[in-house]
Amino acid sequence: MDIEQKQADLIEHFVKRASALQGSALGALVADATSHPSLFAFSEILAVPSVLQLEGTDSSVYLDVLRLFAHGTWSDYKRNADRLLQLVPEQVLKLKQLTVLTLAETNKVLPYDQLMQELDVTNVRELEDFLINECMYAGIVRGKLDQLRRCFEVQFAAGRDLRPGQLGGMIQTLSSWLATSDNLLVSIQEKIKWADSMSELDKKHRKEVEDRVEEVKKSLSLKLHTVSRPTLTSEGMRRSTLNLVE
Amino acid sequence: MASSSSSGLTFKLHPLVIVNISDHYTRVKSQMHPPTAAHANNNNGNGADAATSPPPPASRVYGCVIGVQRGRTVEIFNSFELLYDPSTHSLDRSFLEKKQELYKKVFPHFYILGWYSTGSDAQESDMHIHKALMDINESPVYVLLNPSINHAQKDLPVTIFESELHVIDGIPQLIFVRSSYTIETVEAERISVDHVAHLKPSDGGSAATQLAAHLTGIHSAIKMLNSRIRVLHHYLLAMQKGDIPCENSLLRQVSSLLRRLPAIESEKFQDDFLMEYNDTLLITYLAMFTNCSSTMNELVDKFNTAYDRHSRRGGRTAFM
Repeated sequence: MDIEQKQADLIEHFVKRASALQGSALGALVADATSHPSLFAFSEILAVPSVLQLEGTDSSVYLDVLRLFAHGTWSDYKRNADRLLQLVPEQVLKLKQLTVLTLAETNKVLPYDQLMQELDVTNVRELEDFLINECMYAGIVRGKLDQLRRCFEVQFAAGRDLRPGQLGGMIQTLSSWLATSDNLLVSIQEKIKWADSMSELDKKHRKEVEDRVEEVKKSLSLKLHTVSRPTLTSEGMRRSTLNLVE
Repeated sequence: MASSSSSGLTFKLHPLVIVNISDHYTRVKSQMHPPTAAHANNNNGNGADAATSPPPPASRVYGCVIGVQRGRTVEIFNSFELLYDPSTHSLDRSFLEKKQELYKKVFPHFYILGWYSTGSDAQESDMHIHKALMDINESPVYVLLNPSINHAQKDLPVTIFESELHVIDGIPQLIFVRSSYTIETVEAERISVDHVAHLKPSDGGSAATQLAAHLTGIHSAIKMLNSRIRVLHHYLLAMQKGDIPCENSLLRQVSSLLRRLPAIESEKFQDDFLMEYNDTLLITYLAMFTNCSSTMNELVDKFNTAYDRHSRRGGRTAFM
C-alpha cells in the first residue's frame, strides 16, 4: 500500500504534464514515465484524453508502448519488437519488474526456471540478484527465495494496472471470499452451540450419577439400621452383609 | 467551563492509570454497596416515603497521578489513591506527602503531575483541590473518569482538564479547560492490559466454557473482517455498474490484496495441518485411555475391598 502512496504524487505530476502536451511531444513524456524508477502504474496516464488521441496517428507507437507497460510483459515486447520502439535500459528494467508482477498474479510459487525464461536471465545468481535488488528493495514484491526447491514464494505483490475484464474476476473472488467467511461464521456459531449443549449434557449426567449414589447410600444405611439392631454377632453381620449382596 | 486548551501541552496517558482509577472506583463501590442495601431495607421497613429507594450514587474517589514532563510533553505513567476529607473538601496532605516519598524511592524520575477523580463533569468544588495541589506542581492536570457505562460511546470516558486563568466578569478566575490526549503504552503494559481485557470467569475450569469463549472471540473477529470485505465488494460492484468513477490506485491495491488469497492452500500446509491434527487426536485418545484405566483400577479396588475372600476366616462366600 505504501507503493501507491509513493506513486500518487508521480502519477499526478505526469498526468498534469500529459494534459498540457499534445501529439508527438507526448513521446518524450512516455519515455520519461516508463523509465522512472518508482512509477509502476500507467493507467491514469492512459486515461488522459490527449494520450488517447494518439490512437491511429503516427505517434501511436507511444500509445502502444504505454499500453505495453501497463498490461504487457517482456515476452510480449520481444514478440512485437519490430513494431515498437527500442527501449532504453531503464525501460527494459522496468518492463522486467512488471513481468515479475504479472507472473505473481497467477501463481504464488514461481519456479526459477519459469522466471529465468520469462526474464531472459541465464543463471540463478543473476536472477536472485535481480529479484532482491530490483524487486524486493523497490518494495513491489515481498516473499521468500527457496534455493533448494528453486522457487520464489510470493507473499505480497503490488497490483498492476487492471485490464478491463479483470474487474469482473475480482468481484467474483470477493464474493466467494465473502461466502466462505459467512459459512465459517455459521459453523463457528454451531460449534459454540454444540459446546454449550455438550456441557449441559455432561452436567446433567453428573447430577444423575450423584443422585443415584445418594439414593443407594440412603437405602444402604436404612438396611443396616433395620438389620443391625437384633443381633450383633458375626452370624448376624454375615446375614446382613449377605443381604447387601443383592 | 470547558473550552479547548491553549497551553500547547501534549498529554500522553498510560492505560495503567485508567485501569487504576476504575479499579479504585469499583472497589469503593462494591465495598459500599452491601451496607447501603441493608440500610435501604431498614428504611423501607420503617415506612420511609420512597417506595423503593434507588441505589445511592457511589461516592467519588480521589487520587494523585504521577509521571514525567519533558518540555511540552506530559506523560502520565502511574497513579495512587488519596484520602478525601469531606469536611474540609481537601485531600489529606500528610498522606499525600508520605506516598510521594515512597514512590520517589522506587521511581526517582516521576513527579506529581496532578490528580484524578470520578464523575461525569468537572465541578466547582474540584477547583479547591486543584488549587491546593498547585504548590506541588504549578499547573496540575485533572484526570476525570466517567464511571457510567454508555454503550453508544465509542471512545474512552476519560477527560483531562487543565486550569487556565481567564478573565470572567472582570475577575481573573481559574477555570478548567479540556485538553486532548493520546494513549501511550510500553510493550509490557500492553501485554498486561490485554490480559485484563480477556479475563475469563474464575470458574471457567470446564473446558466447554473456555472453548465457547475462545470461539466467540474468533467469531467476532471474523465478523468484522466479513463486514469490511462486504464494503469492498459493494464498492467494486458499484464501480462496475458505473455509479462511481474508476479509481485506479484503489483497484490496484484491491487486486494485490486478492492475489494474496488463497493464503493456506499449499501442499506443505495440508501436510503440517493434518500432522498436527493427528497429534492432537492421539493425545486426546491417550488421555482418555489413561482416564479409563484409572477408573477401572479404582473399580477393581472397590470390588476387592467389598468382596474380599481372603481377609475374613469363615467369612462370607464369594460373590456369585
